[in-house]
Formats: sequence, C-alpha cells, structure tokens
Amino acid sequence: MARLTRREFLAAGGKSAAGALTVAGLAGCAAMRGETESTSRRRVVVVGGGWGGATAAKYVRLADPTIEVVLLEPSATFVSCPFSNLVLSGVRGIGQLTFGYEGLRKHGVKVRHEAATAIEPDTRRVRVGDGMLAYDRLIVAPGVDFLLDQVEGLAAAQDRILHAWKAGPQTVELARQLHAMPDGGVFVLTVPPVAYRCPPGPYERICQVAWYLKAHKPRAKLIVLDANQNIVSKAALFRAAWQAYPNIEYRASNKLARVDPGAREVTTDFGDTVRYDVVNVIPPQRAGAIAVQADLVGADKRWCEVDHVTYESVKHRNAHVVGDATIGLPVPKSGTIANAMGKICANAVVSLLAGRPVAAVPPLNTCYSWVNDREAMAVVNAYKIENGKVVQIEQKLTAGHSTLYAQHAEGWARSVWTDILG
Amino acid sequence: MTWAVVAAVVVALALGATAGVGRAEEPGYAKAVTCSACHGFGGNSRVEAVPILAGMAPAYFKKAIEDYAAGRRVSAEMEPFAKQVTLLGVDELAAFFAAQRRAPVASRPDRDAAERGRAAAGPCASCHGAQGQGDQAKVIPRIAGQQAAYLRNQLLLFKADKRSPGDEAVTKMKAALKEIPDAALADLAAYYSGLR
Repeated sequence: MARLTRREFLAAGGKSAAGALTVAGLAGCAAMRGETESTSRRRVVVVGGGWGGATAAKYVRLADPTIEVVLLEPSATFVSCPFSNLVLSGVRGIGQLTFGYEGLRKHGVKVRHEAATAIEPDTRRVRVGDGMLAYDRLIVAPGVDFLLDQVEGLAAAQDRILHAWKAGPQTVELARQLHAMPDGGVFVLTVPPVAYRCPPGPYERICQVAWYLKAHKPRAKLIVLDANQNIVSKAALFRAAWQAYPNIEYRASNKLARVDPGAREVTTDFGDTVRYDVVNVIPPQRAGAIAVQADLVGADKRWCEVDHVTYESVKHRNAHVVGDATIGLPVPKSGTIANAMGKICANAVVSLLAGRPVAAVPPLNTCYSWVNDREAMAVVNAYKIENGKVVQIEQKLTAGHSTLYAQHAEGWARSVWTDILG
Repeated sequence: MTWAVVAAVVVALALGATAGVGRAEEPGYAKAVTCSACHGFGGNSRVEAVPILAGMAPAYFKKAIEDYAAGRRVSAEMEPFAKQVTLLGVDELAAFFAAQRRAPVASRPDRDAAERGRAAAGPCASCHGAQGQGDQAKVIPRIAGQQAAYLRNQLLLFKADKRSPGDEAVTKMKAALKEIPDAALADLAAYYSGLR
C-alpha cells in the first residue's frame, strides 16, 4: 500500500467505501512521515473462522479499525462444539448452536467463505482458489483434523462411522442413529489418546448418551473404549456423575485399533472385539491440514509451537497460530482458551504492526460439562506469564455438578458466543 | 484540486473516520480483554447473572477481586481469576473498567416488580444513594444499571450470610435483609437494574 502510485491513490480515494479511504489515507500518512513499507502495508489474513479465528478477526478490528482484516472460512455458518453433546441427547437443537458471520462483517471484517488451500510464509501469501492473497500478518486458526490412518479401516468407513467431533451435520446424524438404536442395543464410544480437542468432551458425551439411554432405552448399554489410562479431565467429578448411569461400561487403556463397519465390530490393540449397534469413533487428532501444509507443525507433524505472548509460530515469522492447533502451553484445547488466544493474539498483531511493545497477557479457561439434561460442573484454570512463558497459577474444580453450574454454563455460552461473533 | 489538497482531504477523512475508535492504545485494554468472554466487551455483561464491570468504582473493583481471591466471596470461577487479575495488575484493570461507559442492561425488567422495588428501596438509598449511584469514598457499590439476576443473587447471599462473613460494613444490611422475603429482593434488583 505504501507503494501506491498517484493514480492508484486517487482511484482508492475516489471510492466511497470507508475502507478504501482509510487505507489510502494511511498510505498518505506513511509517505508523509517517511515510515517503512512494513509498517504501512497492513492487512491481516485470518485462516479459519472457529472460536480462535473468528475472535481474532473481530478483535484486530476492535483494536485498530484501520487494519484490513480478511477472514477465510469455507463454512457459511459457525456451529458451536461446546453444547453440541446436548444435541445427541436431544436436550438442544443444532439450530440453537448455529450462528452467522454477519456480526463480524459489521466490525468491518471481510468474511470470505472460501478455503485457504496453501500458505507461503516466505512470500507472505495465502492461496485462495486460483488467486493469492498477500498479508502483513497471518493468523492461522486451523482447528483439528483427524489421523484416520491410525485406526485400520477408519478412512474407508467415513460415511458410516461418525466422529461428530466438529459440530454440524455429523452431530445431527449421530443423534439420529442414537435415537433410532433398538432398546437393548450397544452404543460404543471410543476416546482417542491425548492430545485431542476438548479434554472433558468425550466424558461429557458419555454422560449425555448414558442419560438419553437411561431415559429412553433402559435395556441399552454404552461401552466406552478409552485409549487413555484414566479419564483425562475432571476424573473424580465424572466418576461421581456416572454413579447415576449403571448403563456405562468404561474400559480404560483400551486403544482402538480396527473398525469393521460390515460386521459392526471394533477391535482394541489388545485384540478384544466389541460388537456395536451404533459406534462413535472420536479419532486421534492433529492440527488442521493447512497448518501441516504450511509447515507450522513441529517434528511430530501434529501440533504448532508458538510464542506464549504473541502466538507467533516458532517456525515462521509473521504467522501466528491460535486455538486447538497449538501445543506447548499448559492449557487445554478448549473453546474458552481459543477465544482468549484469539483476543491476545489480535492485540499482539496490532501492536507488532504498529511497532509497539506487546503486552504480556495470559489466557484463562472455564470449561463446563453437562452431566444430564439440567446439571453441569466446571473446571477453571488461571495463568500468569513468567519469563515469557504461560504458567498455570491454579486449577479449580467445582465441588460437584448442580443446576447452578448449568446456569453458569448457559450464561457463559451466550456471553462467549457474542464475544466471538457479535 | 491539486495532489496535495486531495491527499490532505483523504488523510483528514481517514483520521476522522477512525479517531477514537481503535482501542489498541487505551490503558488497560490489552490486559482486560480476556474478561470479555463472560463480562462482555468493555465489561458490559449481556448476561443477567454476570455483573457489569463498566463504570464500576476502582476501589470496589479492587475489593471484589481481593474478596474473591481470599474466598470471602465464594465463586469457583472467580477465585482463580481473581488471583490472575492480582498478578496481572488489579489497579490497571480497575481503572480500565471504571473508565468504560455502563450500557443499559439488555433485558427489560418486569415493570410491576420494578415499581414494587422502588416503593421498598428507601432503606437501600441511605447507603447506596437516592439513585443507587453508590458512594466511592465508602466503597459502596453503584447498583444502578447493574444486571438484575446478579443483584438478586448477591442479596440472597448476603441474606444467608454467605458473602463477606464478618465484614462489619455489611452487618447492618444483612440484618435488614433477613426481614425481607426473597421475592421482594427480586423486586429491589429489578428496580435498581432499570435505573440509569
């Protein structure tokens, strides 16, 4: 933008759009103040419009509306993963968790429902369709993708074996399968090894499926095959909640090795085979594919290491990563954390573009889990930044589950959805 | 028009369009930003049970943080976060929220309840002020325009002596609240929530 010719400058100034005026005006300022190109060309591209990315896009604009923000998100709607386990039990409808991106547009975010197919960190460009989009700073919020090849037969069975771990059509379809299951049937749910999105999520899902079965199919059973040695999050609280569900058969250290949708069987790495009527395989995970393509992931090819203050990738300058795709911070892969990272990263990006020091601000976490149709519980994590690293100060669990915490959960959801998209 | 004039006009328009809008350089903004997940942007909570921090007096904000951190106010969520705020810089955050304009609550209070609350609010006014504006010097909070469910919940906690045990500043209020039925506490909350 600082290299605009006079003709381009006049053309931009002649447009009625405020954005064009703003950009042209800054170019003029830069020229007058003699600033360098890097501080005056100011476009932030955000890849991914989930909890971290949508928040980051909005908060860059809030911090400095002279910055052009382009959000690339293929989906026309945002569907919340938090609360989506309640769709399985029929306590909520998917429509109650589905929102548009109009709010972001009101903040001046240029929302494009297209996928970023490649990132070139060296030339600071993103490929979108047939074109390239240049950026000054990039925020990648790719979420997670699934390592289907770690379970034999899973890749070939994607049309029949659902993950429902990205809220949307699969959530609705898994709910339909659960509701259509015969009484006396077996629902098998498999939990992947850490790290995966939403540590307590599988166990909340177990509660919701068990609650539904207890109420509607009292002879049915839920068999859980957990790859981990124990419940990964809120273990004591979930164990207490499961006292109400004798229909749960929980098997720790049972890693899924093979699926056979023809025989309706799954096999663990011990060689134990379990027959199912409905199966829900939550597959092993890594950062979203674009992060792997852009070489933002570490040697394990799974997760992205970032600076704990700016969320800038340790592998590529000017590219930041937020949300579930990150690794190395002592934080869960939760919606609240992604929202916090999005805001902190947005402010860091704005400061870096302006040549100002970046405020060292830690994230925070609240994570509510529903144990039935009307009660929830929570884990809360507080942090500080010490020597440039995020350090946990405290983790607190609620004393148990209650309707009070369900009210808190509902309040949190309404508030945070507005914070992301409103 | 010459090139210089065009440039000057465009620059002026650009500055005019954006002046005062961007929040990046506002003191405390960057540190307060994570609070908005629950307390709303700029501390203007849109959730009835979550308090509005915008326009809160700094001394009261600080006292609330200290009380949550010490467990004198009981909250699974706020106890850890209060410790986080303390380490992050409570004075800076208090000043930031105090400087934010308190937006009217989104939900319309029940008019009949608010009217009953107004009629019963006399004893409250003696400390919280005729318009519920509070008293900064005495660290008495502004309750006007606060979220109704939050106010009601706090009144219930005071009544049951579950908030600030042993705090002499609220002994008189707790005694008075014991005589008031819960429904009437909700009326008071509705009344003060609707004040500007």
